[in-house]
Amino acid sequence: MAAKAYIIGTGCISPQNTTDENYFFETIIGPNGDHFPAIEPSYKEHINPNMLRRMGRAIKMGASAARMAMTEAKLDNVDAIMSGTGLGCFEDSEKFLLAILNNDEQFLTPTSFIQSTHNTVGSQVALIMKCHEYNYTYTHRGFSFESSVMDALLSLNEGKKNILIGGIEEHTPLFVELNRQAKKFNTDTTHPLFEGKTHGIQMGEGSAFFVVSSEKQNAQSSIDGISFLYKPKSSKEVLDKINQFLDSQNTALDNIDLVLFGFSGDSDFDNYLLELLPLVSNHSATAHYKHLCGDYHTAGAFATWLADKIIRKQEIPHTIRINHHTKTSIKSILIINAYLGINYSFTLLRQC
Amino acid sequence: MISAIGNNVQEAYANLSNAKSGIGKIHHLNTRYKDEFVAGEIKLSNNDLMDYIRFKSPALNRTSMLGIAAASEALKHSGIDLNDGMRTGLISSTTVAGMCKTELFYKEMVDKSLHLEVLDAHDCGESTEEIADYLGVKDFVTTISTACSSAANAVMLGSRMIKQGMLDRVIVGGVDALSKFTFNGFNTLMILDKEWCKPFDENRRGLNLGEAGAFIVIESEASLKRRNGKALATVAGYANANDAYHQTASSPDGFGATMAIQQALKMSGLSPAQIDYINMHGTGTPNNDQSESKATVNIFGNNVPKFSSTKAYTGHTLAPAAGVEAVISILSILNDKIFPNLNFTTPIAEFGLSPVTQVTSHRMNHVLSNSFGFGGNCSSLIFSRV
Amino acid sequence: MDVLIEKLKVQIIEQLNLAEVKPEDINPDSPLFGDGLGLDSIDALELIVLLEKHYAIKIQNPADGKKIFESVRTMAEFIKSQGKS
Repeated sequence: MAAKAYIIGTGCISPQNTTDENYFFETIIGPNGDHFPAIEPSYKEHINPNMLRRMGRAIKMGASAARMAMTEAKLDNVDAIMSGTGLGCFEDSEKFLLAILNNDEQFLTPTSFIQSTHNTVGSQVALIMKCHEYNYTYTHRGFSFESSVMDALLSLNEGKKNILIGGIEEHTPLFVELNRQAKKFNTDTTHPLFEGKTHGIQMGEGSAFFVVSSEKQNAQSSIDGISFLYKPKSSKEVLDKINQFLDSQNTALDNIDLVLFGFSGDSDFDNYLLELLPLVSNHSATAHYKHLCGDYHTAGAFATWLADKIIRKQEIPHTIRINHHTKTSIKSILIINAYLGINYSFTLLRQC
Repeated sequence: MISAIGNNVQEAYANLSNAKSGIGKIHHLNTRYKDEFVAGEIKLSNNDLMDYIRFKSPALNRTSMLGIAAASEALKHSGIDLNDGMRTGLISSTTVAGMCKTELFYKEMVDKSLHLEVLDAHDCGESTEEIADYLGVKDFVTTISTACSSAANAVMLGSRMIKQGMLDRVIVGGVDALSKFTFNGFNTLMILDKEWCKPFDENRRGLNLGEAGAFIVIESEASLKRRNGKALATVAGYANANDAYHQTASSPDGFGATMAIQQALKMSGLSPAQIDYINMHGTGTPNNDQSESKATVNIFGNNVPKFSSTKAYTGHTLAPAAGVEAVISILSILNDKIFPNLNFTTPIAEFGLSPVTQVTSHRMNHVLSNSFGFGGNCSSLIFSRV
Repeated sequence: MDVLIEKLKVQIIEQLNLAEVKPEDINPDSPLFGDGLGLDSIDALELIVLLEKHYAIKIQNPADGKKIFESVRTMAEFIKSQGKS
């Protein structure tokens, strides 16, 4: 893949104050016990109220973050839209499912069914800006957003110019409760997520969108490549894949200024990343992000947003650091995202 | 491919050639409307399916089993050895994935905290990973969910990844099992026909739902040569466009569909006159068939090629629909045969278009296959003779 | 009739989640679709369920909704005509 995806606009709704342009993780908000709720903006500023009335939270978060990215990119339309979401519009799915079960399949209305369709966010975004172009939704766990990134790189290679990509995830109170009952959560707040001393995850949610372009314009960073690894059997396999990927990008692990680790806090799943951490720490600054956004299928979108922001600011917030390497400049960031030890992805961003 | 017209491609071909629909009384789906509606149900129960794929696992749901049945048939047919050092991917698609099981247990999950493990198999990616693990595909997996055009988009992504040298071959398609969730969803939209659907008929009333798993294997020319393999057909063109008209309804002017067909033609380098047959999306809803007819006329004018919708055989299987129809399109090319549009009698007055209604021999070099979905998602594929 | 119209307004607002609209904003004779409240085909289906749920009236063919849902008044008249108010 030769094309670079220059990031010319971003929008991010997350459990932190990321819609405030000046905020940069000076202080951070911890989980609400065992999960992170997103801080939602006033949607009326971003979405027409007549459309808003039918939207579940995932759609509102997605459409708003997309609008923010488009505004920053100063564009009215794009050549393609790719969204990633592991669970889609879960609130509407749950609403329709409960209505079926509680009313024995009677008195059902179509709205929540329609909105429950996984590609609703992408299509609502297209509908709002009347975008008739290519529109895909990826729904593959920890590869959902990452597949969108890969598709964007493919599309830029094919000659498309401006592309909107994003990741969206929402949780509902009932879904959180079911996961709590299933003992999926980490309630330990004394140990940081990267120490391998905790079990379970802190579930998160949010939405991050990006306008990426084949032309640099005002971009300060670009996504240069992405690589996937499915169900590795050892940390060596993860390391080999990273080396192979970075080699294809004409660089090497030692040259990466910052490695962003997707530690979930569940030591059962984090062990390969835990083994990688000391190997990376000699040369690169290291940091993590799931204590900011929580763990969910499309946390990679948040990580990508964070990486772009770090390159723009040329600063690594102290609240996310793992080691304390001082770097005079941050020219390259490698994101190592992992979902439940199943879906590993490696994303390279560079200053441009 | 596994669908209401057979557990494999051979059975499907026999039923297609005999104009025998798979749509009938509902047996397995436990809905209060089961005696009121018909559907394209696969005849195997969940237990039968486990025997059929020779894989018993309590974690498997019907969606994953259908996917495994279809994808393993496709891979076996291709003759590909996954351990030959070449890169193989799996791109699947589904609209509701594990919902067929979640809906059975959700009440107990909520009320009694029981069966919580079912939640782990609810998401779309899970079914793809079950298929990948069963087959042993490791190099790349992803899942697309763009409603009823999903599998067409899987074909398209797979083709693009091969073209750009990211994979040597890729198993692409989709899977959806019938669920109360989708059944009631379409029922609230009032677009289900209680009797057999009749696509492109003036008096059509709606669609019949179906279920299927359907996959094809796409391989690069170099990889095919290396192992002395033989292709069944080529993917000559593809395009995806968005109607951007309404969340569920298609535009009366067929804008998105027209754009998808146009771009697929352009990419293939073919003129409209070179298309020998169109396998339509043709769900049988008033809205889709009107919009698709309009798009067809927009592109082909007075020279509309022979066409049919095969939804009256299989029902509308949602995500895998385009996979089912890719298999049918390839069968058409291999056998120079058009499989008819069942249940049709009266052309839509606005267009006067009549589909093929008998099994018809017809020399075929290029077949266009359309698939349109919620969210204005419109995809067209062109398959060509090798 | 007026009581039924007022009741319908509240039910419509609730069913369609028209958070920005108050009952007094709805003119019983204004069109519900297109220019008036700006409703669409999905809302029509929602209104069909409203009739089923609150008034036990079943509409089999969605095309019939067009006339019935012209305005709040036509809806009320239809309910009356079915003897279900």
